[in-house]
Amino acid sequence: MTELLHYEFMRRALIAAVLVGLVTPVIGTFLVQRRLALLGDGIGHVALTGVALGLLTSTSPVVTAAVVATVGAVLMELVRVRTRTSGDVALALLFYGGIAGGVLLIGLTPGASNATLTSFLFGSVSTVAEEDIWIVGVLALGVLGVLAVFGRELFVLCQDEEVARAHGLPVRFLSILLAVTAALTVVIAMRVVGVLMVSALMIVPVAAAQQLSRSFRVTMGLAVLIGLVSSLGGLTTAFYSDLAPGATIVLLALVVYCVAVVVGSVLRRATRRRGAAPRPPASAGPTDTMLQTDRGKVTP
Amino acid sequence: MGVSAQFTGAGEPTPDTPPAFQAIGAHAAYDGVPVLDGVDLRIPSGQTMAVLGPNGSGKSTLMRAMLGIVPLTSGEIRVHGTALRRFRDWKRIGYVPQRLTAGGAVPATVREIVASGQVARRRRLSLPTRADRAAVDEALAAVDLSDRAGDAVRELSGGQQQRVLIARALAGRPDTFVMDEPMAGVDAENQRALAHAIGRLRDQGSTVVLVLHELGPLETVIERAVVLEHGRVVHDGAPPEATGDCARPGHEHQHPHPDPNDPDPRVAPTDAHAEIVRLEVPHRD
Repeated sequence: MTELLHYEFMRRALIAAVLVGLVTPVIGTFLVQRRLALLGDGIGHVALTGVALGLLTSTSPVVTAAVVATVGAVLMELVRVRTRTSGDVALALLFYGGIAGGVLLIGLTPGASNATLTSFLFGSVSTVAEEDIWIVGVLALGVLGVLAVFGRELFVLCQDEEVARAHGLPVRFLSILLAVTAALTVVIAMRVVGVLMVSALMIVPVAAAQQLSRSFRVTMGLAVLIGLVSSLGGLTTAFYSDLAPGATIVLLALVVYCVAVVVGSVLRRATRRRGAAPRPPASAGPTDTMLQTDRGKVTP
Repeated sequence: MGVSAQFTGAGEPTPDTPPAFQAIGAHAAYDGVPVLDGVDLRIPSGQTMAVLGPNGSGKSTLMRAMLGIVPLTSGEIRVHGTALRRFRDWKRIGYVPQRLTAGGAVPATVREIVASGQVARRRRLSLPTRADRAAVDEALAAVDLSDRAGDAVRELSGGQQQRVLIARALAGRPDTFVMDEPMAGVDAENQRALAHAIGRLRDQGSTVVLVLHELGPLETVIERAVVLEHGRVVHDGAPPEATGDCARPGHEHQHPHPDPNDPDPRVAPTDAHAEIVRLEVPHRD
């Protein structure tokens, strides 16, 4: 294991992996709660245009990706609100606009090749420069800071937008804040798993944690743990077995998800058997509501 | 089932207390179709009031407009004497939305949901104080769910989830409650328990505005009933005397999802049928 740390590039890659494993599941928990699991995916596609813009203008691709992804996220949020009915179509337009723009601009960049494109599409954690680590570190702090300050309000927003309005919360501001935070998270994770798989690290650890938890907080904590295990475990495995790091990380997260599904269903069955006597079973719901319907009659 | 006096806040309204809610010529529309057609309504502070009416009469829209969830196309809403868009004292408001489930896509415990009702009164980055925690405990006790606090909301029955939503509104210790069909999908026993809790809120001087399908066990608690039809107030006064289930206001119109194959939806579906169909509305999660 220590052998890894002898290499400068691996040290940087490990730092990036820790930041990604830590931050993506936190924002992912809110996105899943808000039923916007694919928002990260859309932003990832848009971020590619940003990357290409950076390469074309010889500025840091991470910085340009952050700017373009943020603009894209705000745009998506506005489109989502304005055209409620065709929200997914609007998202799709941005998906394809983003990826087509990225491919086009990379093609225009002198010296850029398909390899450059591939490294951003599928991640290239071993080529992370020291400058990137600093930018990613600052972004990660920013994302965690925003979620710490606005977490309670975002919980209410993601739970029930109407209730958030009735509490007088600034719903539009919070929605855009969440989208921008997601955009910055995409940029953080982009170097590790690539824009096409970014969303996996936001969603899969949360989906796995959901199987094992009954509380929002515990779900988030477990998701972070699963995110860290997947990103560090995946990177290490990739290093020793000479595999693609991004894909290994995502596949490891999916394996954890499968295990969580099995363990979760076993656990639920066990608690149901143990708790059956003192507690009314969850399936009492329909019976409950049926009773009311026939209140005027003799039998339910 | 104790709702402490702390939930009530203001206490006895004085004569110059502004009304809790006031609608002046309120018009609202969904996609160009008018839903509220000039509603004038004054709900004094401390009143327990029901808004009744057939489906599509605009009763839910009126509630939502009073809280700024639905924008008005013309007219004005005043909350505790302040124009809605300048109203900032949101911690006085407790809203119970009409929902089939209280949970979201990510699991959450009953306590987490109930505590989130304090969002308007808590400062950012603050940890819950002892008073905050006590308010959550009391809210849970008021709806008789103290023993389920650590359970996932999604494991609860429909009636219990409805009580979680009411506890969430209580947890912020507001003095003004707006409840959109809190009895929908709740069994008879839970309905009586809820009526009891709402009666206690009234006794403590809270304003309670309820959108209801029928008065049911709340009949004794309601002081005033407003009946809407086609976005207009058609009855305002004492709760209409009921001589049986079918005598309740708006009853004959209540067929939320009439059978499309039936030539006259007013005849065929009984209330029971209508309620069962309502429950088949897909969950929002």
